[in-house]
Amino acid sequence: MALIDVRALSFGYGAAGPLVLDRLSLTIEAGERVAILGGNGSGKTTLAHWLAGWLPRPGMEPRGGEMLAEGRPFPQWSALDRATAVQFVGQVPMQQLSGFAFTVYDEIVFGPGNLGLPAEEIRARAEAVIEACNLRHLLDRDPFTLSGGEQQRLSIAAALVMRPKILVLDEPTGNFDPESRDSLLDQIRRLPADLTIVLCDVALKPALAVAHRFVLLDEGRIVADGSAHDVFRHPAAAAVFGVPAVAEAAALLRAAGRWPAAAELPLTLAAATALFREAAAC
Amino acid sequence: MIGQAGPTTGRTLLYVPGSSFIHRINPLTKLVGLAWLAASIFMLPPTGMAVITAIAFLFGVAAGAGRTFVKRFVLTLLPLAVALFVIHGMLIERDDMVDHGLISLSPAGLEYMFGIFMRVAALLTVSLLFVTTTHPAVLLKALDSHGIPPGVAYLISSPLLLLEPFSARARAIRDAQQARGLDLTGSWTARAKAFPALLIPLVTLALSDLDQRASVLDGRAFRARRFRTVLDAPPDHPWETWARRLLLVAIPVEFGAMLWL
Repeated sequence: MALIDVRALSFGYGAAGPLVLDRLSLTIEAGERVAILGGNGSGKTTLAHWLAGWLPRPGMEPRGGEMLAEGRPFPQWSALDRATAVQFVGQVPMQQLSGFAFTVYDEIVFGPGNLGLPAEEIRARAEAVIEACNLRHLLDRDPFTLSGGEQQRLSIAAALVMRPKILVLDEPTGNFDPESRDSLLDQIRRLPADLTIVLCDVALKPALAVAHRFVLLDEGRIVADGSAHDVFRHPAAAAVFGVPAVAEAAALLRAAGRWPAAAELPLTLAAATALFREAAAC
Repeated sequence: MIGQAGPTTGRTLLYVPGSSFIHRINPLTKLVGLAWLAASIFMLPPTGMAVITAIAFLFGVAAGAGRTFVKRFVLTLLPLAVALFVIHGMLIERDDMVDHGLISLSPAGLEYMFGIFMRVAALLTVSLLFVTTTHPAVLLKALDSHGIPPGVAYLISSPLLLLEPFSARARAIRDAQQARGLDLTGSWTARAKAFPALLIPLVTLALSDLDQRASVLDGRAFRARRFRTVLDAPPDHPWETWARRLLLVAIPVEFGAMLWL
């Protein structure tokens, strides 16, 4: 049984609003790291809300199809089971804070406290995510006084401390400077291998850093699903993301006859370096 | 222990960090004590209220909150005293008005004014003693650890925590609307006309935030169980439990006695 099974899901806000998700089908297995890519208005955030169980809710029902998690739609899950199955981290860090905690540490232990876990287990879980998200120096700070990057790390820690099976991230590095972005992506990459991660993003770099599987969303439909190259071969990808600078450089080199014609154009600097080394070795 | 020192070492609202006897009392005991004093104040003569005010003030000074007390007294009680003096001592005509040259004063009015003033002063002082020696985070933990529903604790914490982000958003909306040509420097009429342009986006965004925060709380299993696990709950001694019980019984007994006698 797939961990996530979206079956021909059609959804729009309001009774007569346009479809945001249009007969969308998607299966995600446990442990997969999936990047859902698409331009603005492609339906990424709405799909992320469905995957995280924030939808459906009264007045926001699907117009067709369904979404199952471990074979059951989320409305059939208890609040406790859902909170331990899936966690969501959204685009605006401040909106992810509970509004219940006066310190970063209290924000982290808020969720496990609601689960009614023993105090020692809560402390052990908190210790683990404090390390993973590099928050030790901020524990006594008021969460609302942190910078955007720090708040986002806190949101991820507050999600991870629930020990979910699925972590849904919606443009988690959207407001970050490059250094903070790379640091957070590195921390996400090092999360436990059995955690299923779904990253919804409009930018390529986070997706390439985190995901093994890439899904391209366009006007509420999946238009490509596979490896990074599968997705970037699709015409919609170039229109949305542009061509990565490293791929553009490789294309110019290929035109000059200095890049192996049979090789895929690299999408990252690491892939380009590997190709150069391979060519040099030959 | 991680995070334990934090909530009580920083200033939040009127809280003054410290380790005095009053600081160390369980917040729930202080809350019940405050309720008892507030109820008792209505039964005491002005001199009794003055004694309570003086004792609470001395405890506040001993807890390191003397400056906060003085500041609040000056800001709140001084204008109140002047207003009460003018209204009850001078303006309200009574039979016992005594002429003092430029002004006429009523001793009965002044006595009445003193009673009202001391009641407000006593209520303010005991309330100040509570808020200057009780960090909101510790109050939340005390409520949680005594089985008060989490929703009640949230009603206390969220306004305190969300006040600053809400104010920051209000400032951002004001700046954005001014950048679009909204005039906030003109006459009162112009400012009144501009008010909806500030209020509507603020309310709309607040409502949108409500929806988002409700989903965040659901996602973190808030209220999924009736009680939460509380880390580092404030200590609660057996004498405090008994003191709370006694005070809670005393409140209706005092009211009953006041109505009966």
